[in-house]
Amino acid sequence: MVNMTPIEKAVAKANEKPVEGAGKIRFESNVAFGGSTVHVLAMDNGLRVLLLVDRSAPVVAYATWFRVGSRHEKPGKTGLAHLFEHLMFNETEHLKAGEFDRKLEEAGAESNAATWLDWTYYYEAVPKDRIGLVIQLEADRMAHLVLREAQVTSEKEVVANERRYRVDDDVEGLASEMLYRTAFQRHNYGWPTIGWMEDIQGFVPADCESFYETYYAPNNATVVIVGDVREADVLTKLRAAYGKLPKAKIPDEDTHPEAPQTEERVVTLRKPTATEKLVIGYHGPALADPDHAPLAVLSEILLGGRASRAYRAMLIDSEIATDLRGWASTFRDPGLFEVYLTARPGKTKDELLAAFDKEIAKLHDETVSDDELQCAKARLELGGLQSLDTASGKAEQIGFYDTVVGDPAGAFRRLEAYRRVTAGDVRRVARRFLVNRARTIVHVLPEQTQNEAA
Amino acid sequence: MSTTEIDLGGGAKLFLEPSSVLPLVSIVVAFRTGSAHDPPGKEGLSRVTARMLRRGSAGLDAMETERAIDRLGGEVSFEVAISSTAVGAQVLARNATAFVDLVAKMIATPAFDEGELARLLRETRAELLETLDNDRALADRFFRKKLFGAHGYGRTSRGTAASIAAIDREAVKAHHRKHYVRENAIVAMSGDVEPAFAEKLARTIVDALPDGTPPGEVLTEPSPITGRQLVFVDKPDRTQTQILIGSLGTSAHDPDHVPFVVANNIFGGTFTSRLTREVRGKRGWSYGASSRLGVDRKRHSFAMWTFPASTDAAACIELEISLLEKLLEGGVTDREIKFMQRYISRSWAFEIDTAQKRVHQALDVEILGLPRDYYDKYLEHVANVTAESANAALRARLDPKNLVIAVVGTAATTEGAVKAKIADLASDEVVPYDLESR
Repeated sequence: MVNMTPIEKAVAKANEKPVEGAGKIRFESNVAFGGSTVHVLAMDNGLRVLLLVDRSAPVVAYATWFRVGSRHEKPGKTGLAHLFEHLMFNETEHLKAGEFDRKLEEAGAESNAATWLDWTYYYEAVPKDRIGLVIQLEADRMAHLVLREAQVTSEKEVVANERRYRVDDDVEGLASEMLYRTAFQRHNYGWPTIGWMEDIQGFVPADCESFYETYYAPNNATVVIVGDVREADVLTKLRAAYGKLPKAKIPDEDTHPEAPQTEERVVTLRKPTATEKLVIGYHGPALADPDHAPLAVLSEILLGGRASRAYRAMLIDSEIATDLRGWASTFRDPGLFEVYLTARPGKTKDELLAAFDKEIAKLHDETVSDDELQCAKARLELGGLQSLDTASGKAEQIGFYDTVVGDPAGAFRRLEAYRRVTAGDVRRVARRFLVNRARTIVHVLPEQTQNEAA
Repeated sequence: MSTTEIDLGGGAKLFLEPSSVLPLVSIVVAFRTGSAHDPPGKEGLSRVTARMLRRGSAGLDAMETERAIDRLGGEVSFEVAISSTAVGAQVLARNATAFVDLVAKMIATPAFDEGELARLLRETRAELLETLDNDRALADRFFRKKLFGAHGYGRTSRGTAASIAAIDREAVKAHHRKHYVRENAIVAMSGDVEPAFAEKLARTIVDALPDGTPPGEVLTEPSPITGRQLVFVDKPDRTQTQILIGSLGTSAHDPDHVPFVVANNIFGGTFTSRLTREVRGKRGWSYGASSRLGVDRKRHSFAMWTFPASTDAAACIELEISLLEKLLEGGVTDREIKFMQRYISRSWAFEIDTAQKRVHQALDVEILGLPRDYYDKYLEHVANVTAESANAALRARLDPKNLVIAVVGTAATTEGAVKAKIADLASDEVVPYDLESR
């Protein structure tokens, strides 16, 4: 062990003790993460482990990322990945219903989960002396969940209520759902992660069991650990808990790329809302596309903050908008550049669109100024650093970038990419992505309005 | 507490919590007065004044100010609460000096340009209409209005269409002159900054402020409500309701505050609490089901929050009231207390895991006028809670016969069923959801 690095020594120690039926852990690489290091490790059963020792607070963040999201669902079964995320907090072969949350709360843990188009993740943050409990609980529910009719029925109700809250009674939620449904006619990104209401209500336990067997396995997951841990101790515990879990045969994905959009699509939604609104989605790049960072810079120049071009034009100079926001989606496959515009009372969606299009035309025709570039990059640098404030924040960034683009230090790679963006890059991505034929527009009109959109 | 307190003279002070974890510096410049000081008829004045700070100051117009913030990798926000006003700022550490100069100018020498103010007032009126899309915020607004009435806690800090129209430049200037004075200021700084440098930065800010005597306390103790009072906020086409049920709670100064907090956590403060288990876990009626305590200088609120489908609203309200009755009759148990004590003491690590959180605790103590060692001794107070003290607090503070029930939903389809399920209703009213924005 003389020439081994500390992490290699920790791996050797974790593999020392015989654990019946358990495979071994191996060290794969170190990846620089700002001034720290993420250790990349793997188990024989395919579990990927990313470890960052961070002693800035006596806590540990623990996140399990499964490479399954709503894109892996089928028509008629939409919302299954998300419903399943809810069910993961239920009974296991070793724990009664409710015990999972109770044990975590008793340990003082924060815990939650999220499902999105490309992934599902579960997260806990615990005082450092409780890491063993989290490892046990997470390994247990990865392989030993029990799905009963009563729990599935009750959780379907909870999710139906979540859908009413986030979508059916929420103007922006509904408009966003319409945008994706209209923009993606072939790719699975077209259906909502929460699922269509009739699909949510139609699930039976067998759907959930089959989903669990198919996608919840160590070789479809990455565990991210950030915090005040001793490497050998945590790896020994991981091996004991996960080492025996069997691999699954993860099916090949059956996703169709979205065909290029060749003409503008427009849909209209009427809701009890005070003013007209516009939601616009341009087909954009995947997160790993080299043009994603320039598009993020463009987004800042156009829509980021009060000095941005659209804010100035629409909220200050012409006072036709109350609110505007936008971003490039951060998905594994090409997503959308989304824009949300809210009109002032008495102003129309047509006025909003005309003013917005004027700004887009400028981005096509002229280069942005050095000062605008500098402001946008500084804003992005601040935002990037803010997301790394806590152990949980770091664990989320590591897990997210690893899952979507295969790089645990993707957050820092992004900051480097922003620095390299030029005014020419911004104009190029405007011309590549912000084109009318490749956009979808959702008009939101107050129910009482007479001037229904064409 | 690891936070350092530094006297900046003239009544101003600095709380400091250096940390080199990230190359960022966070600054809060807080004032001990908030929207409780809005003159009657001018609700929203504190908030308008605070929002004007970024719209031009000595030598910089509004757009130049925004550009300067962005260029430095900074961010500035304004939060006006009932009892405090806070300018929150964060910046890349390498630009801290220039940024603090800018923030000091914004706070101390705002231009209050007539044209900018007119623009902000138009913007505010439009925003009031947009908040009507947020059913949760509507429930909260009408709950507090019903619970606190004319008391400061029942007033709106955002203003109404009428009160915003009554605000002019003279009112804004007078408000600024009165409240943004050195003696009223507290600076909280955290992040990648050396103590001596931090003190210098803080002095840049407070030295720019004029001397003056800040206005005193205007909040009185709120009066409890009597009977069960329903306010149904009518909004078309709702598939779901937003429901708040509650009454007065405690103030952080009350001797039974910590026992009350522990009891509330058992009832509805965590995912395994009674309310969450019954409403969400067993019945699936609401995605969220919790009970929360408002905390301020005076006795604030206790409220249960759920958002069931319209068809489940009446049954859900009936269940919530019965759970509250059961809580008061049977009380919490020793076992529940011990469980919650473990949860609170172990999860304390997440209350203090960043420098920013630690310095904000010091700021809270100062703003709420709590004993200096309030957070240092917090876990000790929690450990001393018994089932007896928790139940005494519950029974002293809550009475299921005296409740405000605020529901946002569609009255035509839901209100009748809701009324029918609330026994001994003392009053009920249906109000249009856009009442305050007309």
